[in-house]
Amino acid sequence: MDLQEISVQLQAGKAKIVKELVQKAIDEGIPAEKILKEGLLSGMDVVGEKFKNNEIFVPEVLIAARAMNQGTALLKPLLVQNSTTSGKVCIGTVKGDLHDIGKNLCKMMMEGKGLEVIDLGSDVEPETFVKTAQEQGCQIICLSALLTTTMGVMADVVKAAEAAGIRDKVKIMIGGAPVTDAYCEQIGADAYTPDAASAAEKAAEFCA
Amino acid sequence: MSDLTILSGNKKSVYHFEGSMNLAKALSDAGYPLVQPCGGRGVCGKCAVEVSGCISEPDIQEQKLGVRLACRTVLFGDAAVVLPNSGDMQQIETGGSVKTETVDPLGSGFGVAIDIGTTTVAAKLLNLASGREISSAARINPQTSVASDVMGRIGAALSGELESLKKLIADALSEMLAELCAGAGIRQEEISCLVVTGNTTMLYLLTGKNPEALSHFPFEADCLFGYETDFLGYRTYLPACMNAFVGADITCAVLASGMTNRAETSLLCDIGTNGEIALWKDGTLYVTSTAAGPAFEGAGISCGCGSIPGAIDRVSLEDGMVTVHTIGDAPAVGLCGSGLIDTIACFLKTGGIDETGAVDEDFLPLSNGVVLMPKDVRSVQLAKAAIAAGIITLMENAGVQTEEISTLYIAGGFGSHLNVESAAAIGLIPEALSDRVSVIGNGALTGAEQMLLNKGMIQDGERIVQLSRHINLGGNPQFNNNYMEQMLFPEQ
Repeated sequence: MDLQEISVQLQAGKAKIVKELVQKAIDEGIPAEKILKEGLLSGMDVVGEKFKNNEIFVPEVLIAARAMNQGTALLKPLLVQNSTTSGKVCIGTVKGDLHDIGKNLCKMMMEGKGLEVIDLGSDVEPETFVKTAQEQGCQIICLSALLTTTMGVMADVVKAAEAAGIRDKVKIMIGGAPVTDAYCEQIGADAYTPDAASAAEKAAEFCA
Repeated sequence: MSDLTILSGNKKSVYHFEGSMNLAKALSDAGYPLVQPCGGRGVCGKCAVEVSGCISEPDIQEQKLGVRLACRTVLFGDAAVVLPNSGDMQQIETGGSVKTETVDPLGSGFGVAIDIGTTTVAAKLLNLASGREISSAARINPQTSVASDVMGRIGAALSGELESLKKLIADALSEMLAELCAGAGIRQEEISCLVVTGNTTMLYLLTGKNPEALSHFPFEADCLFGYETDFLGYRTYLPACMNAFVGADITCAVLASGMTNRAETSLLCDIGTNGEIALWKDGTLYVTSTAAGPAFEGAGISCGCGSIPGAIDRVSLEDGMVTVHTIGDAPAVGLCGSGLIDTIACFLKTGGIDETGAVDEDFLPLSNGVVLMPKDVRSVQLAKAAIAAGIITLMENAGVQTEEISTLYIAGGFGSHLNVESAAAIGLIPEALSDRVSVIGNGALTGAEQMLLNKGMIQDGERIVQLSRHINLGGNPQFNNNYMEQMLFPEQ
């Protein structure tokens, strides 16, 4: 079967059809890794690109991601033997902040790039990011903040990573409405990205 | 120096200004703030006025709506403006479907119930002996000229405008009281007491409390009211709030619904820019609030407008054809909130919109150049997903199935105009509940009236707060999952 069809249906958010097609592909003996890459991830790539260019909006991304989740659920048991992830990221909204729509979009987009993402949720202590990165061997720590009052916690995470002696081993990426490039430089983080799709691209670049 | 003559009802006043000036700004400075849900971008149509004199030509937004908008009009010299009657213009809900009667009134003579909403203020003068409504008044909350939403208002208060916000609302209430008395032919001294309800932030600003605690995590209000105070020289009761996000207005709406007096499980929703939801189950009132954004007010919708003449307010399918009804049967100028929901429900049925919200055409035509754009559908998806996911998350936390819910009470102005079937068809409210809906109108005001007429109700209100349990949706993974699921429309 043509895996491109999975990509097309995923872009349209047709979860039910995506599930059926993924199952059909598995039944036809197509390797799970190939279904993931050429079907699901390529579809999510298109969604990410369109989102970045303002051709589509948050609802479409969420609906496509929902379709992808249902497809990957079928593939997961077949993928465990040979890991296909190209990198590991831990992501969360910083301490004092509960906004997580942007963070969730980043997570979905990064998974769409084939990265393994550990979601620490929201209101996350700086030490939790550092500890997770250490224990799980993450190459990237991803921070989100939507309030000017909580943005400062991002600097604490950079300091905590330095104190733990892992600063040279992890890249720290930041994002959220009040965050800017200048702020990124000021606190000594590695990258600021303005939207979820660019964040996923940058993360994939760091892990390449 | 130029003069702007302002005609409002039978009142006439003149405002002097220098050079050129935006009309909305001039009206606000002159003490006639207009509500601007779209932030003065000329898209919502809520500030439509009749204006003549030395003024700017209609711009593209005004041409599209066929009206003059205060937010887009520039005054260059002498001009006159006629303001619509605040009552008609905004259709502020002062009515309630719940009966009130005198049992043990809070005072003697007359009393006034007031609901301070973020956008509108409504008041009712009652004869405390008979329980009879004497007159009612409504107007735009003058604080909207400072910031249109709650967060903006908290921000303004924190940057030094607390006293001026307090003064704005105090002056407005003082004028409304005078207006109520004049209309009823009574003296202000005959008013013995007030009950003033509103959301938590509005009560903070009314009493001049610093809302710092409401501005950041963990959003714990340091005052929940529920006490008597003196306001403008009147004995005044401020009903209790449940938390920072679910205020005294919801306490009063729950009281008016009477849901907590019954054994059955029931649900109450106040749908607006913020959706407040309360679920009563086995002696606990689970409450939450969810941010829907201004789409239902017509803001951010390409042809969105307020409830003005020519607004498409109802849309139905007649023999498979999309058929519109406009306010005042005027030629269509835009789409208001209730019409927007009807429109989406109709196109879901015709297949013009699929369950993912995708639209194949560049736009969906309605009438007289008023159209629905694909991105409008996306705005509605975000708003309806927030409300629907809030309802579902609350039900999951309380362990309640849809079948158990005996009644869905819909409170608030927007809910009063909502077509329940359409709301269910787009998945704003659970389909299974559409035949169990009770629309209670301005429940906050009704609850405040009940407190005036029966002191026992004040205790009942305090009891409601004690029985409430807040479910936080921010950062709640359950809510996030439901939000994603509810982004879809129900399959037709």
